[in-house]
Amino acid sequence: MTINSHGEELILDQERAIYLPKNKLLAISDLHLGKSAHFRQAGVPVPATVAQQDLSRLDAILQKYKPNTLLINGDMFHHGLNTDIDEFHQWRRKYQQTNFLLVKGNHDRLANADYASMDIEIHEPSFCVGPFCFIHDAPKCTEEELYPISGHIHPGVTIVGRAKQRLKFPCFYFGKDYAVMPAFSVFTGLYNIKPKKEEQAYAVTKESVVKI
Amino acid sequence: MELTKTKGYKKVKAWLKADKKKPFKFQEDAWQHYADGYSGLVNAPTGFGKTYSLFLAVVIDALNQPKAKGKKEKDRLQLIWITPLRSLAKDLARAMRQTLLELELDWMVGVRNGDTSQAEKLQQKKSMPEILLITPESIHLLLAQKNSSTLFKNLKCIVADEWHELLGSKRGVLVELALSRIKGLQKQANNEVLRVWGISATIGNIEEAMQVLTPNAESKRIIIKADLEKKIEIKSILPDDIETLPWSGHLGLKLAYKLLPIIEKSKTTLIFINTRGQTEMWYQHLLNLEPELAGQLAIHHGSIDFELRNWIEDALHTGQLKAVIATSSLDLGVDFKPVDTVVQVGSPKGVARFLQRAGRSGHSPYETSKIYFLPTHALELVEAAAIKEAAKNLDIESREPVIMVFDTLIQYLVTLAIGDGFDDKIIYEEIKNTHAFNMILPEEWDWVMRFITYGGESLTAYPEFKKVEKDEEDGLWKVKSRQLAMRHRLHIGTIVSDAMLKVKFLSGGYIGMVEEYFLSRLKPGDNFRLAGRVLEFVQVKDMTVIVRLSKKKNAISPSWLGGRLPLSSNLGAVLRKKYNEALDENQQDEELKIMRPLFQLQEKRSHVPKNDELLIELINNREGFHLFAYPFEGRLVHEVLAALVAYRLSKLLPITFSIAMNDYGFELLSDIEIPMDDSIAYDVFSPKNLTQDITLSINSTEMARRKFRDIACISGLVFQGYPGKYVANKHLQSSAGLFFNVFSDFDKHNLLLRQAYDEVFYQQLEEPRLVAALERIQKSNIIITHPNSFTPLSFPIKVDSLRESMSSEALEERIARMKADSDRKLEGS
Repeated sequence: MTINSHGEELILDQERAIYLPKNKLLAISDLHLGKSAHFRQAGVPVPATVAQQDLSRLDAILQKYKPNTLLINGDMFHHGLNTDIDEFHQWRRKYQQTNFLLVKGNHDRLANADYASMDIEIHEPSFCVGPFCFIHDAPKCTEEELYPISGHIHPGVTIVGRAKQRLKFPCFYFGKDYAVMPAFSVFTGLYNIKPKKEEQAYAVTKESVVKI
Repeated sequence: MELTKTKGYKKVKAWLKADKKKPFKFQEDAWQHYADGYSGLVNAPTGFGKTYSLFLAVVIDALNQPKAKGKKEKDRLQLIWITPLRSLAKDLARAMRQTLLELELDWMVGVRNGDTSQAEKLQQKKSMPEILLITPESIHLLLAQKNSSTLFKNLKCIVADEWHELLGSKRGVLVELALSRIKGLQKQANNEVLRVWGISATIGNIEEAMQVLTPNAESKRIIIKADLEKKIEIKSILPDDIETLPWSGHLGLKLAYKLLPIIEKSKTTLIFINTRGQTEMWYQHLLNLEPELAGQLAIHHGSIDFELRNWIEDALHTGQLKAVIATSSLDLGVDFKPVDTVVQVGSPKGVARFLQRAGRSGHSPYETSKIYFLPTHALELVEAAAIKEAAKNLDIESREPVIMVFDTLIQYLVTLAIGDGFDDKIIYEEIKNTHAFNMILPEEWDWVMRFITYGGESLTAYPEFKKVEKDEEDGLWKVKSRQLAMRHRLHIGTIVSDAMLKVKFLSGGYIGMVEEYFLSRLKPGDNFRLAGRVLEFVQVKDMTVIVRLSKKKNAISPSWLGGRLPLSSNLGAVLRKKYNEALDENQQDEELKIMRPLFQLQEKRSHVPKNDELLIELINNREGFHLFAYPFEGRLVHEVLAALVAYRLSKLLPITFSIAMNDYGFELLSDIEIPMDDSIAYDVFSPKNLTQDITLSINSTEMARRKFRDIACISGLVFQGYPGKYVANKHLQSSAGLFFNVFSDFDKHNLLLRQAYDEVFYQQLEEPRLVAALERIQKSNIIITHPNSFTPLSFPIKVDSLRESMSSEALEERIARMKADSDRKLEGS
């Protein structure tokens, strides 16, 4: 779904990503790479296919939009280095032409050398493009003229219908003061938000993005 | 051996005689069989000394043995007494110590459960007492200790007290597994001296209850049944006219004033209420009605602090309290002598539970137990009539033992691995001989072993997975990480509750616990009620809720999840019969007489279903199109049945339902007209293609997902933390729902996932019960009515908040229509 925000065209993709055609920039948030392996290290069996699926979804949208830049809006890595991240390292080599930018989030605590070795450019606390300021946690934004686009909370929205029907989806949120992106990783939960009347939320279903 | 000639027997007999007592026949039977090396089950009504039938058997045996050797040994343990409730242990220990003292047997009695202090546990580690009173969870904690294998070397007997309470739950499986290990250890040491006994109230499947406890059919085992009858008097507290009672709801406060004269004329009254939240409201309400009760009225439930509960129990013994409002926390065991009256508020939902509670009064042999039933809404009066009849005919439910619970097995294996480690071949043989895992297949066992060692299928073995590893020196499976071991110890057990926080006064002193979820809705300065006091929330500090006493008179009560009991099938059948008689002018039940105006209204608006009828009501109003059906099979079965009917209807056209149910029936609600006539009705309630249709309907609702919540906790996938003690690692937090998705998407053969579906299939819906219900419906007349407004039967379901959904429409279309609806609403407003 294509929307217009602050005079710019944004494509909201059902794979939980935003594409900025003008800048050839693809943005995702909360990838939480290494989360499944981190759980396994602690004795909780989570199939590695979880991480593999996240990467193959990323493959799909990178091939769809062929961006110059992939921006990860925080929480790219869940914890420390582990086998999931080794796999990512291998995978990264397929996209040497693409610039990987990381806006650091609360989970991103690897050493700078580790990011460098994976060819990831670090931005702290934010990365600004056009009227937008990509930042992991919106309230921390200090760029007053810009519109913050954040991640962090893994937003979800509940739609209520007649006859007591309810449906819950991950969502994009475009509020008066800031926007929030859905978490990219499938191994994440949802935090329910309640958009006000004048604010926009876009539910992400398996097939498409729907304006609420 | 002739028991009556032994030294021990004579001594016990003389001791009883000095107290002018004589053993009952069943007690002497138990002593004799114990002496002859039998295991088994004792079944006797409360108040006749079930405890002494087994405790004294062990004592007589000990008195007959030559004097025990050294005192300081770790393997002194002679008797393990398993009790389901912590509150039972203290009083039992007191009685046992007294007896041992008088019989001059130099034995120690120890208690070990969640309330036992750390110092006492350490003392026990150094030197075990001869008798240990313990909960199923704490036995597993013992097995999780290093060098625990030696503890049970000389253990003569394990008694599972109130076995009927444990039998139908995963806690019963904990007992089965612990028994298999202890027996296995004695076998390895070539010293098989253990006898296993259960004590049980009367249940429908008493034979099976014994077999679960002593699964070896070749062993010497016996059921000893007391030929004694407990007299029970049941009285309903009736409203002056039926208009007083609401059609729905669960408070029943309107009739509370009728309790005052009952409390007044009794020595001590126990008032049982089904949920913890409601006890708090009743406490406040009774005090408002009768301020004189202040200081003589107390609350007892599982979320009240240990010290406070202790004080209440002591005060009950000494008769200081006029009345205590309790949940199932006081259901079992302990004899509070001053209690002469019991009141049950709201339906107890089962005959066995009702009789058990009645037995809390008139505890001495041959005394009559008196119980009052106070209905909280109008239809409960029919349940009162049904319960009376079922109790008269001793139509008592069975407790179905739980089987093939892989979550509990996984937890058990990790427990052994953090203790002394285990040999997988030996343990496989041991668990295969339990009732719970009798049907386990070798490939399922392999899967469980891979799950705890590799973290999944061996094909995709993960090198980083660390949980249970093989010790190269002795070849046993062990957990090496101390952190993992500690985390596991905190999560041993199969009772899953929401994360709980302790509540403490600013000035010190604990009051009890509330769920984290409840707390998340409170702001500092808000008031809530706990343990009968109105408290002002100050702050949360170190996982503890700090409060001060509030001056406010009223406040909200915390809600604790769980605790809603479904109607048993026995009671359902009697209930249908009672509806049959409802409009009969000549019938005699006082409850039904007073209900007649309500039934007449039901008949006027719709129909009162007879025994051989299934009533379907179709009601159309602003909310949407409602379909109500009343099979009277209990809430759990209705949940599955409603999903099944919804699924079959949704095959006829694209449609979305929201589903609600209670013990009498269920509701399907849709925003478009629901197709329904005689032939459709017989089709959707047909037993044809049942297994397949149920599987598909379970798939499209949340039932299995909800079961998975407990499974994820028990098997250690999800960490909940522990009240006041432990903060879960933030980056290891996740939800059961997330695991359910991940396994459904990526690991379909996961046995824990399968268990979730099996629990719906076999435990919740009890497939034979569902088939029987559908066959009954096929032979019934299906009556379809179109009432203009809600009826006395439909109203309680409509207001029920537990809802499911089921849809055969495309998601995008649903969203579009829901949006269109809400847009219309906006325009209209």
